[in-house]
Amino acid sequence: MAAMEGVMSQDQSQQQVPAQPVVVERLNQAVVQQLNLEAVKTRAISLFKAISRILEDFDAYSRTNTTPKWQDILGQYSMVNLELFNIVDEIKKVSKAFVVHPKNVNAENATILPVMLSSKLLPEMEMDDNSKREQLLLGMQNLPVPSQIEKLRTRIDMIGAACESAEKVLADTRKAYILGTRQGPQNLPSLDKSQAAKIQEQENLLRAAVNNGEGLRMLGDQRQMTPALPVHLVDLLSTGDGVHNISDTSGMYMKGTPPLSSNNIISQGNLLQASGAQLMGRPAASPSGPTSATSFDNTTASPLPYANSPRSGPNMMNTPSPQQQTQQQQQQQHQQQQQRQKLMQLPPHQQQLLAQQQFRQSSMQLGQLHGQHQMQFSQPMGHQQFQGRQLPSGHVQHGIGQSQLGQGNQLNRHLGQFSGAANSALFNAAQGSPNTQMMPNMSATMPSQSLLPRMQFGLAGNNPQRSHASQMLNDQMFNMGPSNPGGMMPMQQQQQQQQGAFGNMAPNAQNLQSNMVALQNAQQNHPNFGQQRQQNQQ
Amino acid sequence: MECIVQGIIETQHVEALEILLQGLCGVHRERLRIHEICLKNSPNLGNVASEIRLLCDLEQTEHMWTVKHVGGAMRGAGAEQISVLVRTMVESKVSKNVLRLFYALGYKLDHELLRVGFAFHFLRGAQITVTVSSINKMLKLHATDEAVPVTPGIQVVEVTAPATSENYTEVAAAMSSFCEYLAPLLHLSKPGVSTGVVATAAAAAASLMSDGGGTTL
Repeated sequence: MAAMEGVMSQDQSQQQVPAQPVVVERLNQAVVQQLNLEAVKTRAISLFKAISRILEDFDAYSRTNTTPKWQDILGQYSMVNLELFNIVDEIKKVSKAFVVHPKNVNAENATILPVMLSSKLLPEMEMDDNSKREQLLLGMQNLPVPSQIEKLRTRIDMIGAACESAEKVLADTRKAYILGTRQGPQNLPSLDKSQAAKIQEQENLLRAAVNNGEGLRMLGDQRQMTPALPVHLVDLLSTGDGVHNISDTSGMYMKGTPPLSSNNIISQGNLLQASGAQLMGRPAASPSGPTSATSFDNTTASPLPYANSPRSGPNMMNTPSPQQQTQQQQQQQHQQQQQRQKLMQLPPHQQQLLAQQQFRQSSMQLGQLHGQHQMQFSQPMGHQQFQGRQLPSGHVQHGIGQSQLGQGNQLNRHLGQFSGAANSALFNAAQGSPNTQMMPNMSATMPSQSLLPRMQFGLAGNNPQRSHASQMLNDQMFNMGPSNPGGMMPMQQQQQQQQGAFGNMAPNAQNLQSNMVALQNAQQNHPNFGQQRQQNQQ
Repeated sequence: MECIVQGIIETQHVEALEILLQGLCGVHRERLRIHEICLKNSPNLGNVASEIRLLCDLEQTEHMWTVKHVGGAMRGAGAEQISVLVRTMVESKVSKNVLRLFYALGYKLDHELLRVGFAFHFLRGAQITVTVSSINKMLKLHATDEAVPVTPGIQVVEVTAPATSENYTEVAAAMSSFCEYLAPLLHLSKPGVSTGVVATAAAAAASLMSDGGGTTL
């Protein structure tokens, strides 16, 4: 039914169309032919008639109340069906040219369909359309259509030409003012090879500096502290203990220090955690042996002239000797391994002396009572020194029992030995005349003075020196199996020598060294040290 | 953990880079003047050597100290596919006694440098920090006022962003997408990988600068 109606309305519209003078829309002729509207109409009407006949028959059946002959009815129905199908098929072939909406006509659509089918525009749209048309065809309405078309065309051409000339002008202006085209300058400056190579080199330098610090490390002797510290470091670096480690050098020196080989210092520093590893005035004669693995081989060991060195700390100054000696001992202990070789090279008596000195100093370290312990066992075992150092301390505590270690526990002792503040002061004092041959490797970590007092308490009460020494010696023998009697002997022999030296130690820096040389036996020093310390600290 | 890339740029183009960054980040630059002190702990009784960096921010009136430990970078096939370097990093603010503390612990000064430049901090998928700085070395120990540039003509650019082990892929992606915007002026790569400069950087810089490099109208 919709198809029929559509067809019929199309008929009507087609009839109306030719009446209008203006350009109209016509159905494409081919489509029209294909549609074959007349034929479709005829068929549709005949089908309509057939269906109405069948419906009348049904009416009659229902009125007369007779059973309908179903076979006949079905036959008629199928015929009607077929006919409808054919018509729709025909329409479908051409229906591609049309879009039909709504698809079905029912009660809702029936009234609105005529409105939808009308080609007249809505009033507003019509007004809009009219006004635009008037604008366009201003003054041309009266002319025939082709001339109107012509005029419109010329208008379009003129506008096109104007646009092109405008573009041209813009491009010319751009060139004139070197603004560049939109895509940017075409001739890019490229880096030539030499430039690129230079840049590459600089880049490598810079990257290495930032990531690894290469090129920024200063060798030890180049490291001069600037006299005017920047603000943020002034407080930190100028005062007190623990200031020292500006560089890897363990020592802060006053002027006049001979250049020191760095290795031993470093090794000692490492082993001791030596913030305070201080260099003794090591004369040039002692090349350090193979260092224990440190990464800062050559960057240390330069004396740092320090206007406000840690020396000015609280506990420093007055007892250079014991501290010096302890420091030396400490350092020498750790240097044992490296110094082995050196010892071999030296003439034998000097070796002994050296060894003795080292032992002594190491023993001094431990609290100066137990020097002999250390002496003994630092001798044979290089790398075990560290362990050994701690062992005898504990051991000694036992053995000596006078609580000479007193308040200082091991840790304190070692810490005391490490803190460089005291050490530096003492060392500086001791620098005076380095005694080369005898003390090639004396490095000067000195225990802090704070520890010394503690140790002194025990010392003071130590009367029987010899027996004490022998006690200690025995203890040491306990500790380390192979004690070296050779090492022991010079100690004992020299015991007498040292006592005399003691009296001079404190005040005179130069005496320190001689004292240290002479001090082969830690034992005998102890009481003196103790006395001295007490004196000094008071 | 942090993600980091580094690049270099010629000093003459730094201003253009600043303009570009200003536009990209939307924040103002912060001046940067950091005294970086690198301390190393030598192997001691079998311990591994460790390195610590102390950063002192000299730009503030109240100098702020930071301690920073940079660990190893992530390795493996996955790490190679990521265009940024992901490495462990621990940072903390400290009081000014830190230098003394580390010296007492046995650390020794290895090297020091002074960074002078500017930095941008912004959020763009991740909290990204871009620093452009010249690296200066000090001829005398700690003489920050007399520092000279290691390479006068080249400055270093670092783009970093903190990350955790769960989100580092997103952070790395955010960083790489940001770094693409900087491509006209500089190449960025993992620290240690050499890149060279961008050949057309001059043109890009010229276009960024307001006069465009052309004659006045």
